[in-house]
Amino acid sequence: MNETPSVLVKNLTIRFGAFTAVDDISFSVGKGEIFGFLGANGAGKTTTIRALCGLLTPSSGEISVAGATPLEPELLKARIGYMSQRFTLYPDLTVDENLAFAGALRKMTPGQAKKRSEELLDFTGFSFGRAKLVRELPGGARQQVALAAAVLHDPQVIFLDEPTAGVSAQAREQFWALIRRMAKQDKTVFVTTHYMDEAEECGRIALMSAGKIIALDSPANLEKTAFKNPLYETLAPEGVNLAQEAKLSGAGHAEPAGLKWRVEVSNPAAWEKLCADKKLLPHPAKPTLEDVFLKLVGAGK
Amino acid sequence: MSPKLRVAASIALKEARHILRDPLTLAMALGMPVILVTLFGFIIDFHYKNISVSLFDHDKTPASRSFARSLGAANYFRVLPSEDARNPEHTLADNASFAALIINPGFGRDLDNPEDKPAIQLLLDGSDNAKTGIAMGYFQKAAALGLSAARGQRPPPESTPLSTRFLFNHELNSRWFIIPGLTVVICGLIGILLTALTVAREWENGSMEMLLSTPARPGAIIAGKLAPYLLLGFCGVAFVYAAARLVFGVPFCGSHALYALSCVLFLLAATAQGLFISIVTRQQQLAMQFAIVSGLLPSLLLSGFVFPVASMPEFFRYFTFILPPRWFMEISRGIFLKGSGLADLWPQLLMQALLCAVLIKLALKKFKTDLEP
Repeated sequence: MNETPSVLVKNLTIRFGAFTAVDDISFSVGKGEIFGFLGANGAGKTTTIRALCGLLTPSSGEISVAGATPLEPELLKARIGYMSQRFTLYPDLTVDENLAFAGALRKMTPGQAKKRSEELLDFTGFSFGRAKLVRELPGGARQQVALAAAVLHDPQVIFLDEPTAGVSAQAREQFWALIRRMAKQDKTVFVTTHYMDEAEECGRIALMSAGKIIALDSPANLEKTAFKNPLYETLAPEGVNLAQEAKLSGAGHAEPAGLKWRVEVSNPAAWEKLCADKKLLPHPAKPTLEDVFLKLVGAGK
Repeated sequence: MSPKLRVAASIALKEARHILRDPLTLAMALGMPVILVTLFGFIIDFHYKNISVSLFDHDKTPASRSFARSLGAANYFRVLPSEDARNPEHTLADNASFAALIINPGFGRDLDNPEDKPAIQLLLDGSDNAKTGIAMGYFQKAAALGLSAARGQRPPPESTPLSTRFLFNHELNSRWFIIPGLTVVICGLIGILLTALTVAREWENGSMEMLLSTPARPGAIIAGKLAPYLLLGFCGVAFVYAAARLVFGVPFCGSHALYALSCVLFLLAATAQGLFISIVTRQQQLAMQFAIVSGLLPSLLLSGFVFPVASMPEFFRYFTFILPPRWFMEISRGIFLKGSGLADLWPQLLMQALLCAVLIKLALKKFKTDLEP
């Protein structure tokens, strides 16, 4: 990691009236890092990103992004790229027109913008005509164009708020290839997502719940530290509520995961007894980010 | 070109593409002036002719016949003979005629007896105020002529030493009065309604957030977005001007430069108002309703377009002071018909400039506090 952080947040608090959307968070992100933001809807992820992009004034705390503070909005905005959750291209303009417009807003010359957008679209595997109106494109292709528009000016810090919502698995892979490439070029990528497999791609992850960061580490460390006790996965016979049984028997904590249950065992003896009673055939399991997420968010409540 | 100007120009280009690709906006911007001019120019006319009058002649003397004939001589009235037995009120009730003229027995006899009043009675349909008032005016004049005709005299000289002449619009042609006022309505429509819609659309889409996350200055964003609408508004004015001069023969007596200046002031005020509405509402539907209530209705009803400001209730008379359309209406009519110049119209222009400055200030302030942290 580089010595000067690209994104520095100190005691950031954002209130809307009586509601505290972001509650005293602090973190820093280095150059070349892919930083993930995980959390339920309303946890404060988007609000934090909007403040970092200079779109919202913090109630208190300090922000520095790519060496600029929100007090120098033009400098800050020139150094960042932002792809918001909402679809921000103009559907009645063509792909080329949208990208040319994005370039003009970034004060690029038409030639620069054209060259760069061709390169980006080629890299993400965009396979439609560039003279097509954006409204005629499928969802995934629109997101590719939106991403290209957000990073057209080669920003130092890129904020992607759920960039792959509604994108096919294959297109998502190409998306991430681009994100990894940008990180290799020493750019900082700040990404929020709902997909756990995408979160695994991040160098570090901040888990947000109710406006606070409740955990911040690499995915591997989060998985290691969140679960001190062994984790098992098992099927349960119909009608057996394992969450209740595990709690009553004192064996540990069980969470449903699809058709199966994942159980964190704190008392091995009680667990063995429960397995025998209910005829369970557990396998040891490796904690996933989803387990971590559920455990930490659950604990925070 | 400076970078700031280039940003504004690219936003204007984008906006022009939106307009050209959206049939609804285009239809509204180009179609409304045509529809309004057709409607107000050809169909709505406050200059009544051929008002139908049912005649109940109970006198049946040469004098009464002569009176009735004289009434229909000019084209203002169309005299319809009626059956004596009918109740005159019924001819009005079933819309057979707009008025009923009853000549009572003894009309011819009493004519030579100037001390008695001639026994004529006129029933008018009071359900249409405007028309009744005008018909009444015509009738008084026509009846005076009719009475002299009945007496077999030449028309009398004006009984009072009053000579009336209508300046600037000699025939009181209502089109001359209405068409110059249409520029106000059309500019208001394009400026306020279309602007409110276009900015609200960016909010609704979330694309405004994208615009604001770029280093483009809010001022450049706004200038670029509004420029095409100012141009459209100006096209609307040009269209009305052409229609007024070429189709309706309305004279243009004043200075074109002064008129253009006043148009620009009004359009700026209107677009600023539209911008303000869109920032407050941030939704197209709501913006449209606000624009109609605060923009279109005042231009139509409170600007003096049809209803004179002077005859409004006192509160509204003063209320119109803060309405740009009211001032632009006076300027528009003044320059078209009277050839008024800067010396005559400076108070109106000053008010226009003042309101324009206030609205722009208000819109920019709201825009900045909401968006620029």
